[in-house]
Amino acid sequence: MTSEGNLLDVADLRTRYPVRRSIADRLARRPRQWVRAVDGVSFSLRRGEMVALVGESGCGKTSTAQTILRMVEATSGTITVDGQNITTLSQRRLRPLRRGIQMVYQDPYESLDPRFRVRQTVEEPLLVHGIGTSKSEREELISSALERAGLAPAALYLNRYAHELSGGQRQRVAIAAALALDPVLLLADEPVSMLDVSVRAGVLSLLDGLRRDGRLGVLMITHDLSTAAHFADRIAVMYLGRIVEYGPARQVVSDPRHPYTKALLSVVPNRDPRVRNAAQILSGETPNPVAIPAGCRFRPRCPIAEDRCADIDPALGPPGSGGSGSGGTLASRVGRAGQYGQASQAGHAGVADVASYPDHEVACLLA
Amino acid sequence: MSLLEVRDLNVWFSLPGGGELHAVQGVSFDLGPGERFGLVGESGCGKTTSILAMMGLLPPNASVSGEVRLAGTDILAGGEDSVRPHRWTDLAMVFQGAMNALNPVRNVIGQIAEPIMLHGSVSMAAEGGGASMAAEGGGASMAAGGGGAGRGGRGSAAAARKRAGELLELVGIPAAAGARFPHEFSGGMRQRAAIAMALACEPKVLLADEPTTALDVMVQAQITDLLVRLCEEFGLALVLVTHDLPVVAQVCQRAAVMYAGEIVETGTTDSLFHSTRHPYTRLLFAATPDLYADDDVMSIPGAPPRLDEPVTGCPFLPRCDSVVDRCATERPLLRVVASANGAGEAGEAVHAAACHRDDAGGTP
Repeated sequence: MTSEGNLLDVADLRTRYPVRRSIADRLARRPRQWVRAVDGVSFSLRRGEMVALVGESGCGKTSTAQTILRMVEATSGTITVDGQNITTLSQRRLRPLRRGIQMVYQDPYESLDPRFRVRQTVEEPLLVHGIGTSKSEREELISSALERAGLAPAALYLNRYAHELSGGQRQRVAIAAALALDPVLLLADEPVSMLDVSVRAGVLSLLDGLRRDGRLGVLMITHDLSTAAHFADRIAVMYLGRIVEYGPARQVVSDPRHPYTKALLSVVPNRDPRVRNAAQILSGETPNPVAIPAGCRFRPRCPIAEDRCADIDPALGPPGSGGSGSGGTLASRVGRAGQYGQASQAGHAGVADVASYPDHEVACLLA
Repeated sequence: MSLLEVRDLNVWFSLPGGGELHAVQGVSFDLGPGERFGLVGESGCGKTTSILAMMGLLPPNASVSGEVRLAGTDILAGGEDSVRPHRWTDLAMVFQGAMNALNPVRNVIGQIAEPIMLHGSVSMAAEGGGASMAAEGGGASMAAGGGGAGRGGRGSAAAARKRAGELLELVGIPAAAGARFPHEFSGGMRQRAAIAMALACEPKVLLADEPTTALDVMVQAQITDLLVRLCEEFGLALVLVTHDLPVVAQVCQRAAVMYAGEIVETGTTDSLFHSTRHPYTRLLFAATPDLYADDDVMSIPGAPPRLDEPVTGCPFLPRCDSVVDRCATERPLLRVVASANGAGEAGEAVHAAACHRDDAGGTP
């Protein structure tokens, strides 16, 4: 899905971590095992766009972001930022580009140095990247970053310590520190999950406004589908290191195609007590990414799995195409089996109108 | 008579530099057997302090007034001596972050068995009656029917472990898994274990502080499902403390919205959502993104007032969008509001709000 003009292109990205071996394992020459945290992730992000990466913990959302940031090295695949392939750039050559990719962490109670004043927190990245030759020049950059993050007038906040700020203000300081470098890409890892409900919307609207300015794109990692549905343009649902559904946010929410997405959506509690979802609670949690099931990785928890799901590892494709099959050529020719009706709970019987969903992709043989 | 009646609960913390912080201000609510009651609000509004006060677990710099009546008896009347016999046996609590507070160097079943031995409670209440919990693992059952779980009495380690195993099954963990250590459990399993611990002495009321907060949506659904089943099958009454309105809407029959230490609106979850009376409740709902609603998500400007200074007028005034003149001078008291389902009707499901206006619940 690489195309011209994308801010970020991630293609078949894989990241794995070695599992520590004991001496006994080594003596017995047992092969090293790997956690396949990111296992073939592809997506793109345009300037001015917000893409949400959703999924349960352990599904590889954060590993994906860390790989894009080059905090961990990709095993294979490519990361292209603003037209430049950064996957294997040396750290020295990466550094000037790294300025353009900034991260906002989940917990502003942990991510801000308690001994730093707001001024120092926002100044630090400028010093690291050698931006602003004089103190007054940096001061100006700091103030404008703070005001861009909604902390105006900046003078009111410059000399405060983190403990003198509310949770929402702290997260805004963290965002200001990222904005100080004028990034093109902002990775926000659960940016509001530690904040009070009353201020969450403010921080999310801030991120929303920043990307609508068109200067940057936002990749938001969240486990909250409601937040993703409200603020993101597109949603990528991850399961066990792979994107299993990807499409326009509203479409993924209103017409989910992957059984995992359907289950996730069915358990989102509704704020109206009269609306009782037919919650489809999957037992257990995401399986161990050391031993990813063969065939479709969701099969062991899937309510509609069929025999062939054990053999074919479906790749992302338009709904109804039966997945294009990353494992075998057979898969691409497998159409909709027509046995789906009984097990499906959402009302979209009939043949999928592929034409109307040019961007909606799903990795399921039966979707 | 209700199972639990909280009347005019107040908590003050004395501050190091002198002065007092009035953290809980006249909180009252009732709870019947099997009922699920939600306590919602922003952090610092007094939710957790309220339930810690009910458990008699506040630090020494706190002073408490008011009554917590369990089946008619005020358990706070005689200080620690009067709370202790009821703590865990009648009133139990799942602490916030309990799932992260398990002892990492002891296996799970041992940790659950320890309080059972100390409290000498190794039989399950008859109310369980051998009803079988169709826990998701399947086959978990409340082996209490015959009381044969070994009334080993105080100190019988084997009986306590057996009982701990039953509790694990009750919350959907195979007893055999209890031999594992907390780090071998997933977050959801640890939260289940924390709930099992709270149930060890067969309490009648469970106070759960943010039991689903740091959990994934699927695991959150598993845990709320478990809590609802415990209430329905064993008549356990639940006080669910959370900032998550949708969770309360789906789990609880009634709820109270707290702000700055006091309850500003209470009623059935249905009336709170469909005939909202307090602007704070309305704004909280508006701040909560809903999967299927298209309305804009709005944050609530400003911050709650300091509780170490007396507040004149309505504590929500600086953040309110429906202010009238009286709000600045007169503190609104919780009053029963006219609602579609019977104005001011006596009974459990009274809808009350602390707002001078009668129409502040709608769009301003």
